[in-house]
Amino acid sequence: MNAEARNARWNVLGLLPAQLIMLATLIVPVGIIVLVSFSTRGPYGGFDYVFTTAPYRQILFNEGWTGELEFNPQYLIVVARTMILAAATTFICLLLSFPVAYFISLQKATAKMLLIYLVTLPFWVSMIVRVYSWIIILGNDGVIAKTLHALGLVDNMGSLLFTDTAMLIGLVYSYIPLMILPIFASIEKLDPALVEASHDLYGSRLTTLRRVILPLCRPGMMAGSILVFVPCLGAVLEPILLGGGKTMMMGNLIQLQFGAARNWPLGAAISIVLMAAVLVFLVWRGLRAIRRERAEAAA
Amino acid sequence: MTRKTSISLLAAVAAAGLAFAGSARADGSLSIYAWADSISPDMVAKFEKETGIKVTVDAFSSNEDLLTKLQAGSSGYDIVTPSQHFVKIMVDSGLLEDIGASSLPSFERILPDWQKQWWDPTGNYSVPLAFGNAGFTVNRDLYKGPVDSWKVYFEPSDELKGKIASLAQPDEVIPAAENYLGIPYCSEDPQEMKKVLDLLQAQKPFVAAYSSDNIENRVGSGEVAAHFWWDGNTMRLRRNDHANVEYAMPKEGLVGWLDSYAVPKGAANLDNAKKFIDFMTQLDNATEQYNYYGHSSPIKVDPAKALYNKENAPELFPTVPVKMGQACSPAAQELVTKVWTQLLQ
Repeated sequence: MNAEARNARWNVLGLLPAQLIMLATLIVPVGIIVLVSFSTRGPYGGFDYVFTTAPYRQILFNEGWTGELEFNPQYLIVVARTMILAAATTFICLLLSFPVAYFISLQKATAKMLLIYLVTLPFWVSMIVRVYSWIIILGNDGVIAKTLHALGLVDNMGSLLFTDTAMLIGLVYSYIPLMILPIFASIEKLDPALVEASHDLYGSRLTTLRRVILPLCRPGMMAGSILVFVPCLGAVLEPILLGGGKTMMMGNLIQLQFGAARNWPLGAAISIVLMAAVLVFLVWRGLRAIRRERAEAAA
Repeated sequence: MTRKTSISLLAAVAAAGLAFAGSARADGSLSIYAWADSISPDMVAKFEKETGIKVTVDAFSSNEDLLTKLQAGSSGYDIVTPSQHFVKIMVDSGLLEDIGASSLPSFERILPDWQKQWWDPTGNYSVPLAFGNAGFTVNRDLYKGPVDSWKVYFEPSDELKGKIASLAQPDEVIPAAENYLGIPYCSEDPQEMKKVLDLLQAQKPFVAAYSSDNIENRVGSGEVAAHFWWDGNTMRLRRNDHANVEYAMPKEGLVGWLDSYAVPKGAANLDNAKKFIDFMTQLDNATEQYNYYGHSSPIKVDPAKALYNKENAPELFPTVPVKMGQACSPAAQELVTKVWTQLLQ
């Protein structure tokens, strides 16, 4: 056996534990969800293994109030709203994160460590507690309202709580560390010589940022955007606690199907569609990145 | 970064280890899945001291959560406390253990009105824990008007616009709307349910939040002026926190509920569960539990030690009809879901 073949075998064996874990904790559960999404709903929730495509049809078509089957975009509206909210969250996170990450990268080594530690600090506290704290901040008697009142700036502002703004604030707050960290990592890898070179070539600060720094930080920004966008699609807490549950997001819609609606197959079908949409998006991004790399290598 | 990653990984592994340790069952243990803050911790401690059985209590906040958990299988719980209509659904779906409750000593301690009701006609699957009703609560600092009709809540006056809150689940809100409109519960008539949707949709612009969490803070602090809520909870907020709240008595009728102790099929600690149910229904303990929970007791309590009466707790003694929530047929439930989905779409 030559060394190459031995290496190849070790590659397979060495990766086996990771692959088994992936199989058991990711592939099999997704398989179960697919199975449920093609099953018949039980009368009081649950499901029976009788094949049907009805759950997928229900996403688009529903019985109207008069009884006939009609096209009903209600779930598509929820999907579209969720996508817009997730995109807005990602965009705001991106805008806020870049200066923060850049600022951190300019600090001395110890300060840098401390700041990065502070960015990850919220992860040590339960998500529910962190979102709840915003109720106290945004509420009628909240910190913001009281401060503005005490300063005499605003006499009686309406409650910020239970608005779409509150929901957006909550989402940005929850996921912004996931944006800062990858951007920070890519700024760290940035070669200062390139920035100097840009200045030497009479590039203004803005030009340097636009033509040198931002393009080189692109991978980090991409990674951060995906890390923020994808979990935002499934957000459940922020819409309920901060948005007041007045409009459904995908997460709440799926939850409703498994709860009060007692329609597990429909809940599973919507989950699969959500997952498929994310997957298509990621594969598309991936392919584009590969194509760009090849083009750059060829150039 | 690497070290930090490995630390968080370690933490995650340790947490997972703890979770597994928590679910391991010893002989002397009992796990209860009950409505949040519904079981007196003092009584649990007393039970643990008397029997040496280690009790863990987890909380749920909707019947649907409980049903879903039981349907998913192997919940690991020995006692659950569903409401009446969900007891029926669970018995019909074979999710509960026949504990022969009607021949247990506990059965004799149940008030006659609550023995062998439609949700458990043999009385073998459940032992009642508490009963009450769903209505709405107003903050009297913010709202001075009348509270004698659901109209106040569903078709709010200017005073209440933007200052009302509803629940996150349709289970009790829709029956309340049906009471107001004079439509029977669990209607299978789409036209009737369309009326319910129209009512709720007209109300929606004035609703601040659809949320079942943190209600006492929301209505107690005045974040909202009217909130869909329960009788005993309002009474506790008024008595314990001295909040200026009043529980409405809408003439169209309140939505009744009764929660029961029941044992999920295949529970690991059946005998301990029976011991706990027996313990909780003994006169002194039932009285303590009643005083703690603040919802009416379907179990005989000691009048000398009971804290609440018509004078100091009018919430618990409704002066209007109370109509018990029903277990809807799948067709009726479909309409309920349709109303709720279209309301929040």
